[in-house]
Amino acid sequence: MVSPVLILAIGLGTAFSLGLMKPARTRVLFGITLTALGVMSAIALGWTLALATGAAQTAEIHTAGVAPPFAINLRVGLPEAALLSLITLTGLLAALSMRAALLRLGRGSQAVLLVLVMAVSGLVMTRDLFNLFVFIELIAIATAGLVLLSQDERAIGAGFKYLVVSQIISILLLVGIIFTYHATGSLNIDDITVAPVAFRGASLAMFLLLIALIVELKPFPANGWALDIYTSAHPGFSALFSAATGSAALFVVDKVVAPAGTEWLPLLTGIGLLSFVASNIVALRQENDRRLLGYSSVGQLGLILAVIGQRDVLGDAYLYVAGGLILSHAVAKAGLFWMSSMVRGRKLEDWAALRTRAPMVLAFATFVAMLVGLPPFPGFYAKWDLAQALVAAGRLPVLTLILLGVLIESAYLFRWFGYAIKREAAENGLASNPVDCGITFATVAGGWALGYLWGNGPEQFNLLATLPAITAVVFILLEPLDARIKNGLAIAALLGWFAMVAGDYDPMRLIFAAVMIPGGAVILLASFTEKGRRLGFYPSAMAMYAGLALLLEATTFFEFFAAWEVMTLGSYFLILRGRMSEPHALSYILFSLGGAFAILTGFALASGGVQPHPIDGLQDVAAADLAPWVFVLLAAGFLTKTAAMGLHIWLPGAHAEAETDVSPMVSGILLKAGLFGLFLMLMQLGRQSLYGVDLTVVLAYIGAISAFLGAVLAVFQEDAKRLLAYSSISQMGYALFGVALMNHLGWLLAMMFVINHYVYKSMLFLAVGGVYKRTHTKLMYQMGGLITLMPFSFVSVLVGIIAMSGVPPLSGFGGRWIFYNAIMDADLRLPLILIFMAGPVGFLYLFRLIHTIFLGQLKDPHRKLKEAPVWILVPQMIFVAFLIAFAVLPGMALQKVDGYIGSIFGDQPLVWHGRAITSEFGYWNPVAIMAVIVMVFVAVFAILIAKNHDAQMVKQFNIVFSAERPYRPETTHFAWNFFAPYRKAMGFLETPVVTSFWGGVTGGINGAGEFTRRFYSGNGQTYAAHVLLFVVAVYLIAMGGIA
Amino acid sequence: MIRNVLIAGLVALLGVAFWTLAAGYVPDAELNRTAAYYAANAQTDVGAPNIVTGIIVTWRGLDTLGEVTVLFLTSAIIALVLAQSKTPPGASGAGFLPSGELLTTGSRMLLPLITLLGAYVIMNGHLTPGGGFQGGAILASGVLLMLLADPSHRFAHSVIARVESISGLAYVLVGLAGMALAGGFLDNGILPLGRFGAMLSAGAIPLISVLIGLKVGAEFSSILESLEETEDA
Amino acid sequence: MAQIALATGFVLILAGIYGALTNRDILRMIVAFTIADTGVNVVLVAVGFLPGRTAPILDAAVPVAQAAERIIDPVPQALVLTAIVIGLGITALMLAYAYRLFRLRGSLDISNFTELKW
Repeated sequence: MVSPVLILAIGLGTAFSLGLMKPARTRVLFGITLTALGVMSAIALGWTLALATGAAQTAEIHTAGVAPPFAINLRVGLPEAALLSLITLTGLLAALSMRAALLRLGRGSQAVLLVLVMAVSGLVMTRDLFNLFVFIELIAIATAGLVLLSQDERAIGAGFKYLVVSQIISILLLVGIIFTYHATGSLNIDDITVAPVAFRGASLAMFLLLIALIVELKPFPANGWALDIYTSAHPGFSALFSAATGSAALFVVDKVVAPAGTEWLPLLTGIGLLSFVASNIVALRQENDRRLLGYSSVGQLGLILAVIGQRDVLGDAYLYVAGGLILSHAVAKAGLFWMSSMVRGRKLEDWAALRTRAPMVLAFATFVAMLVGLPPFPGFYAKWDLAQALVAAGRLPVLTLILLGVLIESAYLFRWFGYAIKREAAENGLASNPVDCGITFATVAGGWALGYLWGNGPEQFNLLATLPAITAVVFILLEPLDARIKNGLAIAALLGWFAMVAGDYDPMRLIFAAVMIPGGAVILLASFTEKGRRLGFYPSAMAMYAGLALLLEATTFFEFFAAWEVMTLGSYFLILRGRMSEPHALSYILFSLGGAFAILTGFALASGGVQPHPIDGLQDVAAADLAPWVFVLLAAGFLTKTAAMGLHIWLPGAHAEAETDVSPMVSGILLKAGLFGLFLMLMQLGRQSLYGVDLTVVLAYIGAISAFLGAVLAVFQEDAKRLLAYSSISQMGYALFGVALMNHLGWLLAMMFVINHYVYKSMLFLAVGGVYKRTHTKLMYQMGGLITLMPFSFVSVLVGIIAMSGVPPLSGFGGRWIFYNAIMDADLRLPLILIFMAGPVGFLYLFRLIHTIFLGQLKDPHRKLKEAPVWILVPQMIFVAFLIAFAVLPGMALQKVDGYIGSIFGDQPLVWHGRAITSEFGYWNPVAIMAVIVMVFVAVFAILIAKNHDAQMVKQFNIVFSAERPYRPETTHFAWNFFAPYRKAMGFLETPVVTSFWGGVTGGINGAGEFTRRFYSGNGQTYAAHVLLFVVAVYLIAMGGIA
Repeated sequence: MIRNVLIAGLVALLGVAFWTLAAGYVPDAELNRTAAYYAANAQTDVGAPNIVTGIIVTWRGLDTLGEVTVLFLTSAIIALVLAQSKTPPGASGAGFLPSGELLTTGSRMLLPLITLLGAYVIMNGHLTPGGGFQGGAILASGVLLMLLADPSHRFAHSVIARVESISGLAYVLVGLAGMALAGGFLDNGILPLGRFGAMLSAGAIPLISVLIGLKVGAEFSSILESLEETEDA
Repeated sequence: MAQIALATGFVLILAGIYGALTNRDILRMIVAFTIADTGVNVVLVAVGFLPGRTAPILDAAVPVAQAAERIIDPVPQALVLTAIVIGLGITALMLAYAYRLFRLRGSLDISNFTELKW
């Protein structure tokens, strides 16, 4: 193993010796530069590997042959080696990314790049304070030089602003260093003694030192200079500036603050959090891609600074957490900057050009997920451990601010991703070439590899080593295949997984599994209609199913949460595929992430920092004081997923705008994940009360209100898929109500809804989707009379609404029957009334659905329509058959569950004998009911046929508009505003209170961002004044904190 | 105006911090342990009577290498910055009158003396005040004199570049040799320490001083030249 | 003695910073920063000063055996050299930048270079 000093020597030696070559031999010179960077990377990687596997010990390198503190010494342990690898590899790739500029400007610029990489490496290795200063200045000078590689003339101004600020930093740094030297008699970092936070002598010197190093991290608001560099510099360089220099500067802060003692940490935490949250808020209003990345960079540096501030509570996990966040940030940010060098336009919308190359979309998705801290990337694991440690240490406010910042960050990152997927792609907007693509994909591969490495962390659960996740990844590799082949494989994968695991599940889990896994396979049958390659669909869908599969498998908090996030991410990509779904997918992911963070906090609260924590261990906290809070947090997370009223505004758009086969997946299947979570939670925690309020009663109210208002809102929809979406809110309300009753029948009811809702909602979405495929409209008043043209779709809608409305004979009635029995047991009167009223309201919208689409007059443009594609009909017919069978024989599924629930509540209110079910309030014999209904139906049908010749056909055009052209023709259609009288009566319920609330929240945050960014006036002198203001403000605040 | 007052206020607050530092400052009565070590071991460790040079070249040799690199970077970047606004070759200085005989002769007479002084300062760096940086700067002042005395004169660019590269590379190699032959990177013990106080003593310090001197002289010369070539003639 | 030098150094630093933040002319800003740099260097050297001692050079006046009692702290002397050179490098770089900025806009007023903002 060669000495790490060689990294410095090679960088420097090569930089010096480039002058010996003829300047004209540009390619040879560039080749030498690349080789040098390659060798430096190889040394760094070699050390990382050796240190990680234990083949080598931390290297203590003495220069001048004298022990420290009398000569400068260097250290390379695992964190140093990992950072060195990051720095040198980023340097190598950055050199490739900047190749055009480096070749144009010749050996001088290459030497500057080499020196920069050398200096950043030195900064990481050195243990000497003044040597630190030398490297910082080298970095500053080299940065000012490389900024000039940009073709953008504004870069010159940016470089000057940067130099002005680095002058101020170096003044503070030098004063701090010399007084620290005076106090300790040594310049060695390891000789710094624990200094109390005070403002004289050694402590003040430490303050100046630290604040100078912190300003290097571009904290808000003293960071205008850095943002200008990000905006105007060559993106290849910005990658280096963000990933390498930023990470090294963080490491330096850590290096210096570690010996100074924990008293200084709150300072770092405060500055870091402010910087993280504020930078992200400002970024919301940013339209230039590189400046946006700049804001995100300074935000991330703030986050990690805040994490450094938590090193006292993180203990052993410190390196894992901080390292995971740093590497995620560095890899993703570098990758995004390198991608931005390929995108020609500078607006966020211009990234739509990526869409022309599918792998680029994968790269973009990878980087966004890495930045936000989603699985399977290191930031995700780090976030989890951080949350655990923070909550265990009672630092909930810190965690809250961090999660808030992450949420805001994901808002603009996912909005940007949405632009890339959905906006108009400019002709020739992507300057893709093999080298830049290669750099990007090397970075992507690095990100995934890190994800795998981090998975082997203390949670002992590596997502990328689980079969479902691997399957999802395999589907990325299968992308070049034809969609129908992939569809077959996907169905096989789902069924295979179910066959493998089904045997081990208890009856309740089995029902969820049946709905989610083979249920998904049935819906996938509809996907056989799609031709071509259907890029992006299968990896997303399989990621969602992987999440669901893992959710059912989860035994620990972490496994559950990881599965939850995978599912969310996969479904987001699926929803985003819809034609008009850009804003809806965004609100979906934001609400989901918000909910997930509530779950994260809830779990952290419950586990008290013990890792890994089994889910069954949740019952151990049921008696603790914090149990109600755990309940509230978890319930908030799960209710977001089931779209309970108040948290529902993402659902209608997301479900309605999704593709034909995606709507049933996200509606019929995905919503059940929230119910599954609620079941798990209630099973463990039981009833909890907060300030004397029984929380399950609150849940019951929320359920009832959702059931009622969801139905009311569905009534007034013109769009068939939106109607179904609102109906889902209502149906989930029923299920929630059932669960919240906390009795045997309530739970049975909820299970019934799990099955029923999956079947009829999937069926209806498919049917309406099939109609949409033919008519190209979802607006019901534009349709009519399709019964003769699309008889199969009609049948499935008919059966679907009968089942859903809860009238006999189909299974919906079974649901209602159990439901009425359940509420007889409960003593909740008001929600009970609401639930009762939701029934007839539900009937109104269902009636409208079938009436306006299939009955009435056929529209002229629709006269030649054919039945929906056969593959869309196949699953519907399966569902029809199932509904009828389930109506007759509900016992086949429910009896086992009933017994299982009985084992939880210790009662058995239902008695199953033969085909009939008896409760204390009456009995239900499905077979008998079915027989009666069929007989009545056949009788009435026969009479109708017999009377058919009496019917009189009405001419289609016997209405006269007194020669006046209607201003909006659709308003004359009978199905337009179908329930106008009801709207008069109940319209006030439609007031978008919730929507305006959330609109106000986002508007407020955006306004704050718009206001704050005016702060960055662009004047270099003002920026320098900001730095001074920042230093003085921190000084005063910290001093006030002591006094 | 308001702005200036505000900034004055900020500066004053920073002044409070500095004032606290200055008021609380108690000069050491004894050398601290680092300085005491240097005083005690200058002879045995590095063999240089000028302890400051010993520190600069050996004990804190990495700083000095960085320092040289700062100059290297600066000269490279200035060349880059000014490259875009370079006047075409040959055009520079064309507008100047030829310098008079007095100036030419005077500068020719001074140049060897300046060079000699520079060489002296470099070579005696480990014995008396001085060293590579100071000597290098003196050497560069000779170049400055030439540029001022005869603006139309063109320096051989490649010679400067070569001196710059070779001295820098040799410096790094000497440093590496310290790792191979002595105690570590930049250890001056690769050459015998010699007799304390002699001209050729203190191991590799005179060698490194020469390299630093050449490097610094070349960097300054190249900076001056870059600046001269952008002269708006 | 040391306090006087320190105070002088700090005053130079503050004056330099004030000048750099209030003069809009780029050249004046650069000059102001060199003043501040000088102040820093004065502070550096002042910290190494010990009353009644001499330069850290071991010659006839300071025999090796008495060095520890006779010389001032050599470390700040070594540091200040590095600091001076680095300050020089940055000043030169800023001047080169100033030249480019002037060629770009024909102006040296820093408030004219604000096209990057928000």
